[in-house]
Amino acid sequence: MSTPVISVQGLEKSYGTFQAVRGINFEVHPGEVFGLLGPNGAGKTSTIEILEGLRPRTAGDVKVLGLDPAADTNALKDRIGVCLQQTNLPDKMMVCEALELFSSFYQRTTDPLLLLKRLQLEDKAKSFYSTLSGGQKQRLAIALALVNDPSVVFFDEPTTGLDPQVRLEIHALIQQLRGDQRSIILTTHYIEEAERLCDRVAIMDEGRIVAHGTPREIQARTLGLSKIEIVTEHPLPPLPEAAAFSAEKLLVGADGRSLTVLAAHPARALVELVKWIDAQGIELVDVQLKRPTLEDAFIELTGKRLRD
Amino acid sequence: MAPYLAYIRMTLRLTMREKSVLFFNYVFPLIFFFVFATAFKAERGGAINMVFAMILVIGVLGNGLFGGGIRMVMERDQNILRRFKVAPISPAPILVASLVVGLVTYLPSVLLMFLISKFYYGMTTPEHWPSLILFVAIAIVAFRSIGLIIASVANSMAESQILTQLLYFPMMFLSGSTFPTSVFPTWLQTVTQFIPATHINGGVQGILIRNESFLDNAAAAGALLLTTGVALFICMKLFRWEKEEKLKNSAKLWVGAAMLPFLAIGVYQTYAKTNLERQNQIDRQLSRSRNRIIRDARLVLGDGRVIERGSLLIREGKIAQIFEGSAPDAKVLNADPVEGAGKTLLPGLIDVHIHIGAPGGFYENLQDYGKPKQGERALAAYLYSGVTATRSVGDWLDSALALRKKIDQLQYTGADFATCGPIFTAEGGHPTELLKNVPSAMQATGRAQFLRLPTTPEEARLMVRQLKKDGVDCIKGVFDAGQPGYMFNRASPDLLAAMAAEARTQGLPVAIHTGSAQDVADAIAAGASSIEHGSMSERIPDETFARMAQAGIYYDPTLSVLEGMTGFAAGRTELLEFSLVQQAVPAALLASTRKYMQAAGSKQMRDGLGSYKMDMKIAADNLRRAHAAGVRLVTGTDAGNPLVFHGPAVHREMQLWVAAGLPPAAALQAATGNAARLLGIAGRTGTLAVGKEATMLLVDGNPLTDITATERITMLLLKGERIVRPDLFTQE
Repeated sequence: MSTPVISVQGLEKSYGTFQAVRGINFEVHPGEVFGLLGPNGAGKTSTIEILEGLRPRTAGDVKVLGLDPAADTNALKDRIGVCLQQTNLPDKMMVCEALELFSSFYQRTTDPLLLLKRLQLEDKAKSFYSTLSGGQKQRLAIALALVNDPSVVFFDEPTTGLDPQVRLEIHALIQQLRGDQRSIILTTHYIEEAERLCDRVAIMDEGRIVAHGTPREIQARTLGLSKIEIVTEHPLPPLPEAAAFSAEKLLVGADGRSLTVLAAHPARALVELVKWIDAQGIELVDVQLKRPTLEDAFIELTGKRLRD
Repeated sequence: MAPYLAYIRMTLRLTMREKSVLFFNYVFPLIFFFVFATAFKAERGGAINMVFAMILVIGVLGNGLFGGGIRMVMERDQNILRRFKVAPISPAPILVASLVVGLVTYLPSVLLMFLISKFYYGMTTPEHWPSLILFVAIAIVAFRSIGLIIASVANSMAESQILTQLLYFPMMFLSGSTFPTSVFPTWLQTVTQFIPATHINGGVQGILIRNESFLDNAAAAGALLLTTGVALFICMKLFRWEKEEKLKNSAKLWVGAAMLPFLAIGVYQTYAKTNLERQNQIDRQLSRSRNRIIRDARLVLGDGRVIERGSLLIREGKIAQIFEGSAPDAKVLNADPVEGAGKTLLPGLIDVHIHIGAPGGFYENLQDYGKPKQGERALAAYLYSGVTATRSVGDWLDSALALRKKIDQLQYTGADFATCGPIFTAEGGHPTELLKNVPSAMQATGRAQFLRLPTTPEEARLMVRQLKKDGVDCIKGVFDAGQPGYMFNRASPDLLAAMAAEARTQGLPVAIHTGSAQDVADAIAAGASSIEHGSMSERIPDETFARMAQAGIYYDPTLSVLEGMTGFAAGRTELLEFSLVQQAVPAALLASTRKYMQAAGSKQMRDGLGSYKMDMKIAADNLRRAHAAGVRLVTGTDAGNPLVFHGPAVHREMQLWVAAGLPPAAALQAATGNAARLLGIAGRTGTLAVGKEATMLLVDGNPLTDITATERITMLLLKGERIVRPDLFTQE
């Protein structure tokens, strides 16, 4: 495997007596989208701001692009892109001016016009910041994070507070960036976002990483059961024990025509159920299989919901 | 460098798009400008300088504290600074941009106000205008820094508002930016010296009004620069990009740290008081430059001419125009009106013969003769009495020159003072006898300071040249052999002739004291410019007066000292009762003089003086004939001698002349135009003429028919400055 662009070992961060980050380890590889998932106060933002060189750490080793964020802060800032949550620009600053200004801060810059085109802000180039919609503001923030053509981009809660339509736009953009072979690290508390965008995620809770891997691995590693729902034409006869179908639990609806099955290995359970129903000479009307979500895994791992 | 330039460019653009910037830097100061200009009647002369300085400081305060400080807090609170936090830049470009923007936004406003002041209100361009620009630029940058340091220590917008107001209002109201600090009591004026804005105000006024340069304001500029440096350093150290980052309340003390240089200046000024003096001088110069018009008065011009009904316009401390007949409208002329109907306007009176070191009366305690500031008090008494110029013909050199400097530099308000310094005479001649009372330890100093006893003509010339170098205004010699019982060694005529010749070469008028008719003849032969006393015991021949008239030699009869000495000898305490004497002379001196005159201890001295021949009839006759012969007459009084008090003496002198039979007009001309010509100051004062200094008094009544009217002064101007007469005696 290639050299990681980010490596974190034994990272700790305390604010006075409060331990926000309590010794975490992870790596992010080139071209990878890595998600930090967790409820508010889990330590996500502290972690990411340490990586961005915005905060000193209390203990541990951190390298981003081979640089120590605490020591080589400006060299690092010059090479990364950061999209913080809740930032603003002066109301009377034009989009193109913002790009021009931020370009002047970096050694290496990319063509601002292309950037605008890519972020669909071309026709807003001469607009004041205050006239932009929420989505346009966020797109501009991303554009500013890309002015130095960074090889690592940090997104801190990139879609928080945006409406669903805009959120989809931003997701598409991030996926596009990933196509450029950039490493992306994002924090979020939207499960779908992590599932959809991230190659790998780390779930944080109370300063620790409680699970980490691909979204699917995490789901698999947890005890989450899949749910099979079957609807038949005629009521079902009495059913054998759940174990007969390699399932955990069987529930028959009041009308006798709908069946809910919880199973750890849904594929096998489904085959056996269908065989049995067919053998009874009953027609199937509908079959649905629902896998456990990352959300389910999260609840199981942390005992909390992501959003309260 | 690129981030600095980009940030400066960006901040400038944003600033230009901000309406509030236009408001704070242009609209707001301009509104204040016109309000203040109207309130202080800036169109009536010099007050425009003060208004310009005031508004400039108000603008600097707004630009720095609101434009620099509040704006930075706003950007932090709106999460704008946070966006820049992730970029590879330090706070330096942001801070520097704020300073540059302060300059760029405000300097044009200064220029605009300057142009309005100059072209609409007639303010003159200061001699050191580059100094003005440099000083103002430093002030702008310093106040931006103070704004930034407030932003650096304030944890919220509310806190920064409080801190800003805490600085803004005291600076507005105590720095002289809303009303002149001269209205404050001294202790409060001292407090103002701790306030940075006061020094901006003072510096700008100094450059505008006193023709000061940047270097004259180096202390204030240095303190402003130091404040800038300290503030920026602290800002860099405390800079916060996010509102969530908070500082302890104790961090607010850093604002004080940035202003420590002004604490140092304030402490220094508490002791030195040089700035208070300067402000006082500035205020006097402002008062001098006010436009005024005296309407419908009788104008006694001082050269013998009279305008029975006329008006006189004053601008910039000078007489700008004289109108005959009905008065013009004061409003049209933009001048403060003074109604003069039924009154008479005269040039300031001049006493050409005084001795400032002697009190005119007697003290009970010997040490009272050495009390400090007697000279200053005496010159205040002259000015109070409408005597605007004086000449000392014989005083201790160094103290006389120091006194003259103090008056010239406006450190004390009093009559102008010129001095001959020491007196040329013979060993054992008059006035060497006066040093007999001086303690032996002081004898050598006394002789060096008060006497010149040349033994050869060359030595006399050398002494004159040295005195010229020391800075005297005239040369005084004595021809007087005294009278039986009071015999003096008389100076040799060739010595005084050498003295007079050298003095004329040096451009100094020569005053020669005379006692007898022969003395007068010898003084004329020696080359005197003025004959002091003439003779009070002998008739001066008509031929002598004819020669004087022909040669243009002035005659100063000093009838006052004759009356004073003989009055003292006769115990005439009623001479202490004249109204103006009571007004102008310290009450304690009058009381102790009266007591002394009535005491047995003075009998010997009074008897001695009484036996010396001084006859008013003879002196009056000499004066009448001098006048008839066309001799130029001047008024001296010999004030300082017994019962000739500093201040009111010239009025009494003129009264004695009129009593002697001279027309009041002759006395008035002698006391004004003639005296000015003798003193060599006729080019600027002594007459009411266009271009002359506006030094004059308005008196109640007509002195041409009643000479005592000169004592009833209703208004007094000194070089355009309206003198509040009672205030003269409360100066520190």
